[in-house]
Amino acid sequence: MNRSTLTLTLAGSLATALASVAFAAPLPAEKMVGNEKCYGIALKGQNDCAAGAGTTCAGTSTMDYQGNSWKAVPAGTCTSMNVDGHKGMLEPMKG
Amino acid sequence: MTMDLAASQTAFADALLHADRPVPDGITTARGEADAARFAVYRNNVFVGLTKALAQRFPVTERLVGTQFFVAMARAYAQDHKPASPLIIEYGGDFPDFIASFQPASKLAYLPDVARIEAAWMRAYHAADATPLDLAVLAAVAPERLADLRLVAHPSTGLIRSGYPVGSIWSAHQLETVTPITDWRPQDVLVVRPEMTVNIHILPSQDAVFAACLFDGATLGAAAEAALTEAPAFDFGAALMGLVSLGAFRALQPDEGNVP
Repeated sequence: MNRSTLTLTLAGSLATALASVAFAAPLPAEKMVGNEKCYGIALKGQNDCAAGAGTTCAGTSTMDYQGNSWKAVPAGTCTSMNVDGHKGMLEPMKG
Repeated sequence: MTMDLAASQTAFADALLHADRPVPDGITTARGEADAARFAVYRNNVFVGLTKALAQRFPVTERLVGTQFFVAMARAYAQDHKPASPLIIEYGGDFPDFIASFQPASKLAYLPDVARIEAAWMRAYHAADATPLDLAVLAAVAPERLADLRLVAHPSTGLIRSGYPVGSIWSAHQLETVTPITDWRPQDVLVVRPEMTVNIHILPSQDAVFAACLFDGATLGAAAEAALTEAPAFDFGAALMGLVSLGAFRALQPDEGNVP
């Protein structure tokens, strides 16, 4: 695309998109929320209570993880995820 | 033998993170001799602290593989990754890369990208607050300057481009009961916190290249051409307005002579 064609294309495309939203001053918050619904897919997360490690003073556990005798088998919800009609785990891992 | 302080601290830290190492030199008890059992308690506390930090940052990853597997994987990571920052919230920033190289998890090809969403979530949560770029500012840009314009990404912005439906997988795990993913296709996930809440969005697939280019600092013109090359259906105006509306940008790049 040459320079002037690109400029025209971009400007026209943006003008068309902007014309679909009526606004004057900064968009109010509720407008932002409305736009989110229109563009992309908003995924609903949990509350922001999980601010991360170090933001709470949870004590250390007395559990001893020092033994390395674990089996290398993912055993969580991955088994319920579909992969092309198969389970999320294509085959069980050998420990 | 005497060691200087730095060397002795390094030796101590190494012994802490590797259970097969002996108690470091210079550790004594009131009775005089080193007590391996006591050192093991200390070592255990360090591991529990680090693996718990990872579990808090990567709850979906933990659910996907189960607690036992997760703790083992986190422990393998912790052995070779001392915290690089005194802020434990930053610990595990490269845990997704580690997962990608962790052979026992290799069958779960989507796992590293799910972890990347979680890492980005935490970065966004603790990123600097900033008012997002206003659509009105963009609308006021002279048309002939659009192609050369660059945008500054919002400090909280993260983009995860995946070959797997990692947004849907993450989303499914926000609920108590996890339902299977029926529409198994690649997804591009935008993580951003325009105000006080971290938002996770699945971007329209034809817009991901455009977003990635802009976040890398490309001009609007270059990003649009890259996007059109990959997806002829790409709509520049809709994509730009959409990304701006989600709060993905903070401002127009000032060094281009733009008036914000």
